[in-house]
Amino acid sequence: MRFVALLLLAICANAQTLQQAEAQWRAHDYTAARDTFKALVAAQPKNPEFRVRFGRLLLERFNTQDASDLFNEALEIKADYAPAMLGLAMVADQTFDNRAIQMTEKALEADPKLVEAREFQARLRLEDNDNKAAAQDAEAALAINPKAIDAMAILATLDLLNDIKETRWIPRILAIDPHYGKAWNTIAYFFVINRRYEEGIEYYRKAIALTPDLYEAHSELGINLMRLGREAEARQELELAFNNGYKDKATTNTLTLMDSYNRFSTFETNNTILKLNKKEADVLRPYFESEMKRAIATYEKKYKTHLSVPIQVEVYPDHEDFAVRTMGMPGLGALGVTFGTVIAMDSPTGRHPGEFHWASTLWHEMSHVYTLTITNHRIPRWFTEGIAVHEETAIDADWGDRLSPPVITAIRDKKLLPIAQIDRGFIHPSYPNQVIVSYYQAGKICDFISAKWSESKILDMVHDFTTMDSTEAVLKKELNISPEDFDKQFMAWLDPQVRKTVDSFKEWTGKMTTLNGYVKAKKWDEAIELGGQVRDMFPEYVEPANPYVALSTAYLAKGDKPKAIEQLAAYSRIGGRDPDTIKQLATLLEEAGKPKEAAAALERLNFIVPQDPDLHKRLGALLIAQSDYNGAIREFAAVLATKPLDQAGAHYDLGRAYFGAGKKAEALDQIEASLEAAPNFKPAQKLLLKLSTDSKN
Amino acid sequence: MGCRLKLLNRSLTVAALFASSLQATTFYVTVAGLGGEPDYEQRFASYATDMEKILTEKGGDIRVETFKGPTATKANVTAALTRVALAAKPQDAFVLMLIGHGSYDGEYKFNLPGPDISGAELATLLNKIPATRQLVVNMTSASGGSLDALKSANRVIITATKTGTEKNATVFARFWVEALRDPSADIDKNGSISALEAFQFADRKTKAFYEEQKRIATEHPQLQDNNKAGAFPVVRLTAATAVTDPAKQALQAKRDELESQIDQLKYQKALMPPDQYKSQLTKLLLELAKTQEEIDK
Repeated sequence: MRFVALLLLAICANAQTLQQAEAQWRAHDYTAARDTFKALVAAQPKNPEFRVRFGRLLLERFNTQDASDLFNEALEIKADYAPAMLGLAMVADQTFDNRAIQMTEKALEADPKLVEAREFQARLRLEDNDNKAAAQDAEAALAINPKAIDAMAILATLDLLNDIKETRWIPRILAIDPHYGKAWNTIAYFFVINRRYEEGIEYYRKAIALTPDLYEAHSELGINLMRLGREAEARQELELAFNNGYKDKATTNTLTLMDSYNRFSTFETNNTILKLNKKEADVLRPYFESEMKRAIATYEKKYKTHLSVPIQVEVYPDHEDFAVRTMGMPGLGALGVTFGTVIAMDSPTGRHPGEFHWASTLWHEMSHVYTLTITNHRIPRWFTEGIAVHEETAIDADWGDRLSPPVITAIRDKKLLPIAQIDRGFIHPSYPNQVIVSYYQAGKICDFISAKWSESKILDMVHDFTTMDSTEAVLKKELNISPEDFDKQFMAWLDPQVRKTVDSFKEWTGKMTTLNGYVKAKKWDEAIELGGQVRDMFPEYVEPANPYVALSTAYLAKGDKPKAIEQLAAYSRIGGRDPDTIKQLATLLEEAGKPKEAAAALERLNFIVPQDPDLHKRLGALLIAQSDYNGAIREFAAVLATKPLDQAGAHYDLGRAYFGAGKKAEALDQIEASLEAAPNFKPAQKLLLKLSTDSKN
Repeated sequence: MGCRLKLLNRSLTVAALFASSLQATTFYVTVAGLGGEPDYEQRFASYATDMEKILTEKGGDIRVETFKGPTATKANVTAALTRVALAAKPQDAFVLMLIGHGSYDGEYKFNLPGPDISGAELATLLNKIPATRQLVVNMTSASGGSLDALKSANRVIITATKTGTEKNATVFARFWVEALRDPSADIDKNGSISALEAFQFADRKTKAFYEEQKRIATEHPQLQDNNKAGAFPVVRLTAATAVTDPAKQALQAKRDELESQIDQLKYQKALMPPDQYKSQLTKLLLELAKTQEEIDK
């Protein structure tokens, strides 16, 4: 039976040709093209070209897995078949996988005259912001084929990125193909990944003007309009793409996300727009708005820039919704992402309590708004990320990035990148966690510049990037140093800070296991002795199963509360974020008669788990006891915003905070609300009588 | 509809509180079953210990028996329930709280050291207890599988899971214990935590636990009979005292009348202009507060 089917396919294939398949593909008749390719592959199973072309069709039609399989099958037929290697490189580049670079290099080794591979290499270089190499590759492609139209598109992109508006390459492209909208599509893509969204949108429009049925451009235009908050037009473009069969994940998921916007509320002030999910808007709004305002005031002063439009922050409790916003973007984008003056970020409720400092992410992203605005989006990725990380620590030492095991390993294995190539670590990471390592390194570079030269040098460098495109030139101008010398000096500065931890990392790993074993076995003396050593080897380690908590547990078991407090306070100071641990510290501080310190410990949690009613209740009680009535009002209002079961208690607490602050009308409203819920609630009754007596006097 | 139920609940709660505090005994039997591993063993025992402490702290006419570790056998549980059946009178109240692991294969079983006890066996023992107000809080895994067997007209049943097929270890017990010692669980501020209030507290905390941990909820607590649960005080936060002074008895009657008027006003809220509602409510609340102040003098 199977033989007969194959025979039939072979007979059919006789009537079909590769040219037919390609023509059907060009005519957007993807089903027919697919069937023709299938027949061709069945008829000539040893032909790698059919498989690769079929794979390229599938890749374009969003079927990455089958495309990848076809490229691999082609390589099994012919191990050095360069177009198959190129196909795999294209698959890898869809997720900015570093193997894209390796496979392209292999393809060019196998066939140095494969123009498309040379053009693709130019594209990869440009993704890494290695403009010089990108230009060389594009020129090399043109040397092989003077009509290499995608190489011309790369050269046009380079001109336009460098603000050469009258590029000579566009007329040459149009002379070859007057309807080649893909050239503008390529240009737009690079403007978007360089965070120059407005110009990217403009170029997508040009692509569509030349090729109205280029639905990829319609989809990208829609996505980028949505990123900038222009939802009506975005929806129009996305639906046009979708209805014409362009149903990739980005298009589909973006439309789904836009459908979910009716679950969000928007709050506007003179300089902020905040979009929150309705289910958590009441709780989060005061905290987010307050931090947005504080960050704007700080950055306006520091960067000497006043934004002409409000900053928009969108907060997603469902991480998948947030992930839609970052689809197709290079870099980590795990917590927040900035599109011009629009920021999308995870909500603290979207993450496991303690793993996410939302305020740190907010300030990080807001710093991008300023550095991107000042440089008209010309700032290189490493520098805007470095400044953003540097700013986190500038606000509060416990907010910023700490030395972590992946970073230690990278330093130990000498994997930090030279400053001239650091962008590559963000865009095409060559090992797991390289993006994280690159954030750390970029942040430390900014710390170094601030320490060795001055904080204002950072600002000067930011301004330089408005007109200069290379890190090398800016380093020379502001710091009078070559990239190579900078790298040497930076490592000499960093080394003493990390050397001890890096050298003892292996020993630390082993001893941590022993320490946790001691704690489990309740061997408190041994835990205390070893805990101190382990802690001092790697003081920044405050993640789960850290020595601070182990030590505090041991000290508490031995009844030594002051020393337990000492350990937990250090944990909190360094940046430990586990809510239960910090609440334990607050409890111990309260027991030790230190309510002010207890309140300060809990205040940190507002930046980590603002959705926690227990936190607000405890903090409110501590603040009211210290006569900080405005703080107590904020906290008790947050309790009410969580819609607690105990409405009477929550309204009463807020009422007494208002009463303390002298806001008697507000206090009366709250006390009546409390008694409406529980008419016999005696503390509320007493306050009602007092308010009533006061109003008569 | 919601308002009417709430109104009814409150009147019943007050009535029941007085009935149970002044004339009746409440019998509590708590069983922490087989843990299977040290962590669970310790956790279950500690919940049972905490429960006993909470129940006995405020005194009152109560009898508390707690079984945990090796004492939580089927024989001991059977004997304890038989003792209650012999001692209890119709006006008394009875509370059974089960902590630990359960299983369900068409029939619910509570895992104990030695032989397990089935839902049907528990029901037989409970049916012999003459107390007309009974509460069973089954906090084990698969406890939803015991609902049918334990069902009775005079019994409020709370389970940690919706069905017998929710077989993972539960967290509900932790929050039930928390509910009984947290004054904020006393939603109506009447000085006692009812079965309904404790259930609502623990149910919400259980849901929040799974949401925070980003885990699929493997338990969905159930409560059978909201009305009775609202009128079933599980633990008292303040000691009840009998009033014999006729003047105070008159004030109490006035207080009850004012409470009733407030309930009626709240029932009318949706039909009244907001200003009118607020001014009438303020007046009544103030009067009630003054009356209470007089009573407390």
